[in-house]
Amino acid sequence: MIWVIHTLNGVSFGILLFLLAAGLSLIYGLMKILNLTHGSYYLVGAYIGSTVIATTGSFILALIIAPLVVAVLGAVMERFFLRRFHLDELPQTLLTFGFLFIFADLSLWIWGGDPIMLPKPAMFSRSIDIGGLGYPTYRLLLIGVGLLVALILWWFQERTRVGAMLRAGVDDAEIARAMGIDVSLLFTLVFAVGALLAALGGVLGGPIIGAGPGTDFDVMLLAFVVVIIGGLGSLRGALVGGLVVGLLDNFGKIFFPEFALFTIFVPMAVILSFRPTGLFGRG
Amino acid sequence: MLTSVATTLGRSTRRRAIAGALACAAPLALVSSAGLAQQAPPLKIGVILPLSGNFTPAGEDALTGLKIYFDSINNEVAGRKIQLIVEDEQGKPDVALTKARKLVEGDKVQILTGFVSSAVALAVNGYAREKKIPMIVSADGGANELTMPGPLANPYLVRTSQNGRTPSAAAAEFVFKQGWRKVAAITSDYAGGFDTIGGFAQAFCRLGGTITQEQYPPLTTNDYGPYVTNIQRDADAVVTFLPGANGLKFANQFIELGVKDKIPLMDIFGQIAYEPYLKQLGANGVGIYSVLHYTPMIKTPENERFVKEYEARAKRLPSDNGPDAWVGAKAIAEAAKAVDGKVEDTDKFLAAFRTLKFDSPKGPIAFDKFGQVIQSMYVRKVEKVGNDYVNTPIQTFNNVDQFWPFSLADLEAYKYRYADLKGSMGDCKKVLEKK
Repeated sequence: MIWVIHTLNGVSFGILLFLLAAGLSLIYGLMKILNLTHGSYYLVGAYIGSTVIATTGSFILALIIAPLVVAVLGAVMERFFLRRFHLDELPQTLLTFGFLFIFADLSLWIWGGDPIMLPKPAMFSRSIDIGGLGYPTYRLLLIGVGLLVALILWWFQERTRVGAMLRAGVDDAEIARAMGIDVSLLFTLVFAVGALLAALGGVLGGPIIGAGPGTDFDVMLLAFVVVIIGGLGSLRGALVGGLVVGLLDNFGKIFFPEFALFTIFVPMAVILSFRPTGLFGRG
Repeated sequence: MLTSVATTLGRSTRRRAIAGALACAAPLALVSSAGLAQQAPPLKIGVILPLSGNFTPAGEDALTGLKIYFDSINNEVAGRKIQLIVEDEQGKPDVALTKARKLVEGDKVQILTGFVSSAVALAVNGYAREKKIPMIVSADGGANELTMPGPLANPYLVRTSQNGRTPSAAAAEFVFKQGWRKVAAITSDYAGGFDTIGGFAQAFCRLGGTITQEQYPPLTTNDYGPYVTNIQRDADAVVTFLPGANGLKFANQFIELGVKDKIPLMDIFGQIAYEPYLKQLGANGVGIYSVLHYTPMIKTPENERFVKEYEARAKRLPSDNGPDAWVGAKAIAEAAKAVDGKVEDTDKFLAAFRTLKFDSPKGPIAFDKFGQVIQSMYVRKVEKVGNDYVNTPIQTFNNVDQFWPFSLADLEAYKYRYADLKGSMGDCKKVLEKK
């Protein structure tokens, strides 16, 4: 029964990784921007979530407000700053790097330097019995919400008009523009959605990973590993990559505790040596 | 590399703030000294603390404690103005060393103090020894070797905080006395973790207890779920040393996965039962045991006065770094007084320092001949008092020196160093093997 719990641990962490990585992957896929601010969206999302919970006591409100605020931040970043360097990779990356510091310092200023954990919603702060061992319902909730988000994203990408434009934009932005698709608006939208997903991860992951100075870098690193394994620009890759990393990390720590530092990076190196574009990436 | 740029930016703003504060303070100093015909030159103290990066809260605590004492004596001792020059080391040894050089060679400070991270304390140690500059470790920096005979011993170093081993030994005494004989240990995978759990293993083995499980999560662990799930459910107690955010992340999983309801938790050094975290853990934190050389709940006039002043300044309860730095500041002032302000006579100043004895917020204080503070160790239990969650002291070990409950000779006779014991902490025969 303990293995069921280990598996659930791995899956729930994997789902969280998916939420963190999906936005990064989307943004890169469409705009070829390596967004180093991605971890900051998580951090700011978690902090805003904690403030909302502290003032209103509602986890649901935090789950709505924090991602929306961060989505606006993302849209502003794209619209007024990154746009100036379209397809100019180095200035773009440096710009997002700069934003990372701005967000880190602002967070330190507003929320202080003490690490925080977000409180769990009261309804999901209990455990259920799995073969005599308690298992927190919050992690099950995380798995549920994560899969729901994956489903919505899939529907959005495959079944809606905007999704079709998005796919067209990923495949060839120039032609998409020539076909009359408003790529400019699409860029802003995707950037906002990417930021929104990371902030959602911040609120949902807050009770497990928490937030504090340096969490932005940690999360960015995790998101990059997942995206590299799954393949840049692929949502399916982010989901599978997240689950692969979550499970390998969990069982790696149980079976090879002395290599705990590398349980995430070794699979990445192995997969890259066989599939340089990641599991679902296109070359 | 990435973090280094991040914290540099953080620092520069902070530095401006400090420079501004100094600029405001300077005219005041001039005015007050104008009346005195022959004012002695100021006593310059270089303060090296992390004021940006992960260790920021500890650095700010220490700075507040230091200032509380110096302000209480109007920043003046033995006819000399006290001038603090604060430098942010960002939690990095290389930065700290650069700052130490700047303070000693540029600002001509007479004393260096502060030091939260052990790595930072070790980096500056060699330089301070070479320059014969008194180095007063008055914050967390707990590397055992700094105050033990050996290659790192520094005759110019005095520590007013704690060493790494002693709280572990007190934890072992307490755990054994509760009748808990088999414990599962979870410790961060780095030198400080091995020292802490090694110190525990040594004291615990000697009493007759055993560590039955060792887990070493990396400092960068995000999800503690796997480690908590893996804890042996038949252990009598879980013993941890998980510094920084790790303690909080672990505690949440420990509670969430339901292990806390079944097995008692001993948190060496109070990294989980850290005051800012207690508020977050709320009712779930009640019952966690920890060992540290301080708790804001100590009922003495010295401590009650200190806590009140601290809360007025920082709007929160002090961690151990506050009173550690307070003791450092008071000891500097008392020793300076004892040598009539002639701090430049380093040997005399340090000799006076080591003979000091006084009551502090953390209890009575003295020093041993190696420069390590002799103080009390408190076993604490998280309780709810009024609307607050606090660390209530439930047992006190008084006059604990750095070798307690061993003697220096005892400790030096053991064959293995703590780091060598990683993976075999449970093998008491090996832990206690003599040379």
